[in-house]
Amino acid sequence: MRSSWLALLCLLGCGSEAVGGPTTVTVSGSVLGAEGRILRRQLERFDRETPDVRVEMRPTPDAADLRHQLYVQWLNARATDPDILQVDAIWTPEFAAAGWILPLDPFAPDTAAFFPVTIEANRWQGELFALPWFVDVGMLYWRTDLLDRPPATWEQLERDVRRATADGSPRYGLVWQGARYEGLVTVFLEYLGGFGGRILDGGRVTVSEPPGVLALTTMRDQIRRGVVPARVLTWHEEEPRFAFQNGEAALMRNWPYAVAPMQDSADSRVAGRFAVAPMPAGPGGRHTAAFGGAQLAINAFSPEAEAAWRVIDYLTRPEQMLERAEIVGQFPTRTGVYDDPALAEALAIPPAQAREIVEAAVPRPVTPVYTQLSEMLQIQLHRALSGQAEPAAALARAASEMQALLDRVGLGRGAVARR
Amino acid sequence: MPAAEPRGVERSEARLAYGMVAPAVATILLVALFPLGWTIWESFHLHDLRMPWLGQPFVGFENYGEVLRDRRFWGAMGHTLWFAAASVSLELVLGCVLALAMNRTFRGRALVRASILIPWAIPTVVGALVWRFMFEGLENWLTHDRLAWVPVILADTWKETPFVALLLLAGLQGIDPTLYEAARIDGASAWRQFRFVTLPLLMPAILVALIFRTMNAFRVFDLIYVLTAGGPGTATEPIALYTFNSLMHNLRFGYGSTLSVLVFLVTFALALGYIRLLGGGLTETRS
Repeated sequence: MRSSWLALLCLLGCGSEAVGGPTTVTVSGSVLGAEGRILRRQLERFDRETPDVRVEMRPTPDAADLRHQLYVQWLNARATDPDILQVDAIWTPEFAAAGWILPLDPFAPDTAAFFPVTIEANRWQGELFALPWFVDVGMLYWRTDLLDRPPATWEQLERDVRRATADGSPRYGLVWQGARYEGLVTVFLEYLGGFGGRILDGGRVTVSEPPGVLALTTMRDQIRRGVVPARVLTWHEEEPRFAFQNGEAALMRNWPYAVAPMQDSADSRVAGRFAVAPMPAGPGGRHTAAFGGAQLAINAFSPEAEAAWRVIDYLTRPEQMLERAEIVGQFPTRTGVYDDPALAEALAIPPAQAREIVEAAVPRPVTPVYTQLSEMLQIQLHRALSGQAEPAAALARAASEMQALLDRVGLGRGAVARR
Repeated sequence: MPAAEPRGVERSEARLAYGMVAPAVATILLVALFPLGWTIWESFHLHDLRMPWLGQPFVGFENYGEVLRDRRFWGAMGHTLWFAAASVSLELVLGCVLALAMNRTFRGRALVRASILIPWAIPTVVGALVWRFMFEGLENWLTHDRLAWVPVILADTWKETPFVALLLLAGLQGIDPTLYEAARIDGASAWRQFRFVTLPLLMPAILVALIFRTMNAFRVFDLIYVLTAGGPGTATEPIALYTFNSLMHNLRFGYGSTLSVLVFLVTFALALGYIRLLGGGLTETRS
């Protein structure tokens, strides 16, 4: 009943489609700042080159949580608009399992041209449900004027921080995203990979095993010892970026987007004085980058799936990716683009290094209940980091809650074969 | 119809009266009872927007059972009660002091009375943001599970005390000054005047302030949403924020509705209790 009401509201609100003439396809996603300008420009170009399809933009909130909430409400109401959805990789299995987005295999996408990690994150039960648009990876930003080389291990990082912050300037050692939100899980995932751990193994929650405890203890102790300031526990992406950009931090974990604004010498006090490297690793693991970024998917209720695919195909072409890299610094998802000399100009780091980081990127668990699992984990991570619980106890509690949810919805230990 | 003439007139008047109030009754049903009924109906169903394949089956009291076993729910209840008790008592004491001060005659009294209302006039979200910026500058306040309550309760007290002060001031002005004269003639000290004249006569106003403030404190949402977002972990999460998260963030409509129903029941019980208390208070002063 609620669904039909929502659908009615949407019909009233979204207006009617023109009859006859070119097919109209709607694209929803982030339209903020430079990202919005470049999308608009690319879609206008598509309109000129493709007279029989018109594209319209449907702006959605930039905050991922809010966009997710909006999509779920639309898709529950079986809204036919927007036709194309910009989705986070962690939503693909959820939307696919719900039957809200179309499998893309019938359109024969050239999956071999993309990084395998970007394709795998968008498969559910063997089928591809979204095409990777751009990649985000967690990276370690380091000050080249304070350190000789990026730290490769956590011990080395701590020594480097001690030395770099000995005279009180910069104030902070390492800064990252520590507020209770998805960003904290990506940071944790990188520490976890550094110790060789995983959040989930099939339908079994493995986050509370020794590597997980070691990873979380390392994070907690870094805060206790002042290597990481406690205030990161309220920080999202922009606060660490401001701190690093103002010269207040020796090291920062952030996404590639931060390079462009910090290179702009007008606003930045560290322009030309920083570089990026993979995150450090502990014993038993490897340098890990959390895999993020955006994918494009087709609304399963869209009457214009064919035209929508043409738009997706256009937006994910190498030349469009190159342009995105130039203007917003987002990493392409096609491996071939990294051989293009133009990319070396576009990215602030050597393409070979960018490629290395992407290839080592670790996706978050591929499961339709990811957002629920993540919330359970976020709360316990945050409790441990703020000293309310010991890391082992917090992770044990998170694991038991997560396992109970997986078991309840039939995706638990016994259901490993479903993947 | 065999009825006598006047009764017929009465009846048609009654019909007219019913017709006239019908729109108002319908509006109340539509805006108050219908959403409440729907929420109660939802609370008996499994309805998770993110897992549409589970359908929307009737599950009886299963959601209620889950709430009672939910540690986060009991935590949120505890936080809400603690917040309400701490902030409302602070506001009552400070509000009383302010009201007594404003009740005296002094130069610039009108200006003081007006300016004291400023915090109350500032939107909660704006005020909460200002407090967050202030406390973000201090290491560890917002990231410590107990210390994080300090900015929360301070901000609420700062914002709501003027409201309490205003209500109590109105109560103070209704007290007959001759009572104080009589007390002074009898040699009562300032404290005894306050204890035996002011306080009993102010009781109805105090109760009204208490009701308004407790009910609002129990439903606190925006202040904490902006200030700590319920963190660190869920250490400052009140019940309204947990309900919001279940409904709007996790999109668990069945479970979130169950939480809403429980919040409604608790607030309703509080209101009933206070109404009985207030009724007693009023009759006492009359006798």
